[in-house]
Amino acid sequence: MECRHAQASLEAYLDGELGRAESRELEAHLDTCEACGAALAALDDLRRALREPALRHAAPAALRARIAAAAPPRPAAARAPAWLRHAAAWLLAFAAGGACVYAWTLRHDAQAQLAHDLFASHWRALAAASPVDVVSADRHTVKPWFAGKLAQSPPVQDFADQGFALLGGRIDYLDGERVPVLVYRHGQHVIDVFVLGQIAAVPERSEQRGYSLVAGTLGQQRAAVVSDMDGEELRHFRDVLSGAK
Amino acid sequence: MIGAMTAWLDTLAQQHLDAAYNLGRWLLGNEQDAADAVHDAYLRAARSAHTYAGGNARAWWLAIVRNCCLARLSARKREVPLRHGDDALAPACVTADTVEEQAHAAQCRMLLAAQLRALPEEFREALVLREMEDLSYREIADVLGVPIGTVMSRLARGRALLQRALATAAAGAAQEEKHGM
Repeated sequence: MECRHAQASLEAYLDGELGRAESRELEAHLDTCEACGAALAALDDLRRALREPALRHAAPAALRARIAAAAPPRPAAARAPAWLRHAAAWLLAFAAGGACVYAWTLRHDAQAQLAHDLFASHWRALAAASPVDVVSADRHTVKPWFAGKLAQSPPVQDFADQGFALLGGRIDYLDGERVPVLVYRHGQHVIDVFVLGQIAAVPERSEQRGYSLVAGTLGQQRAAVVSDMDGEELRHFRDVLSGAK
Repeated sequence: MIGAMTAWLDTLAQQHLDAAYNLGRWLLGNEQDAADAVHDAYLRAARSAHTYAGGNARAWWLAIVRNCCLARLSARKREVPLRHGDDALAPACVTADTVEEQAHAAQCRMLLAAQLRALPEEFREALVLREMEDLSYREIADVLGVPIGTVMSRLARGRALLQRALATAAAGAAQEEKHGM
């Protein structure tokens, strides 16, 4: 990679918006080029300065109260005649029903979006030169690698003895969060395990273009498993995973 | 009906109130205008809540906040040309006296804040959304209503301008010290 090209990708790299293959290429260049390394360090210094909490203005309590007060008031119906109260009750019930449907639709949309993002991440990883950023079958390498990059590193365990060998791990972005992904291999199948943490509800199961997703757990955390294995194998793997310590 | 429809909006607004206020503060420069703009934004969002067509809700909310801020900015420019917000009154160049009183870190922070305020709006808002609110390029593009490529070039230009301004300021301070001013 030339310096000119590297300089142009430094910011996208720093912002976590550079593709995996390009990031690797850039990292290889950074290992050898002092000037580009210094430019990245300068950008990182500026970032840290701008992220200083003192520079961010928190909303004053008065504004918070003002917004809460601006929320539409509940209609006062204490002195309303009986028929009006009944009508209001029906109307409220109708509105509550509507709100439930609306909330359900929002939740449903969020689930569909998340499933879509999970599949997309899996496909991107398959299309890349390697589906993992840290290659190792040794969980003692994978766990510290995550620990250096995330606030909470996920439990990492190899299930090679049960036919699911640990390939390594990577980090992906979901819903604006950095999410650890554990990658396993079963025969010719690559399996991604997304450790979801605080991320909103994932659908129980979903399918797209021959790939499947099932919700599961890893240790105490919720996880999503994505692979092109058939349903039965996938569920088997999910059970193995949830048995992990 | 309206109450039920806007319950999710109240949650959204309260959850991202700091982000909204911070954006307002960096665009408008003072507490009162920023708070008023966020309040306007909430009312506008409540009126148009039914037009929300899915997608990133935070970006949708911040886009409304930004529009309210820009409306205030242009009204202000019409009324009183070249009026500065009260944030702009904070010392842009730190005097020699305060240098000694202030810790070095606080001084750097003030300098950076002054330089950020001095940046043209388009670069300032992109940097605030990226660095302080941690929005992705996609989200920033949605808030600003511009393509992702434009977001990238504004961030790059904004960072370069800030780095240059900070370097110049640092060189100036060193010069002053040398001359015992």
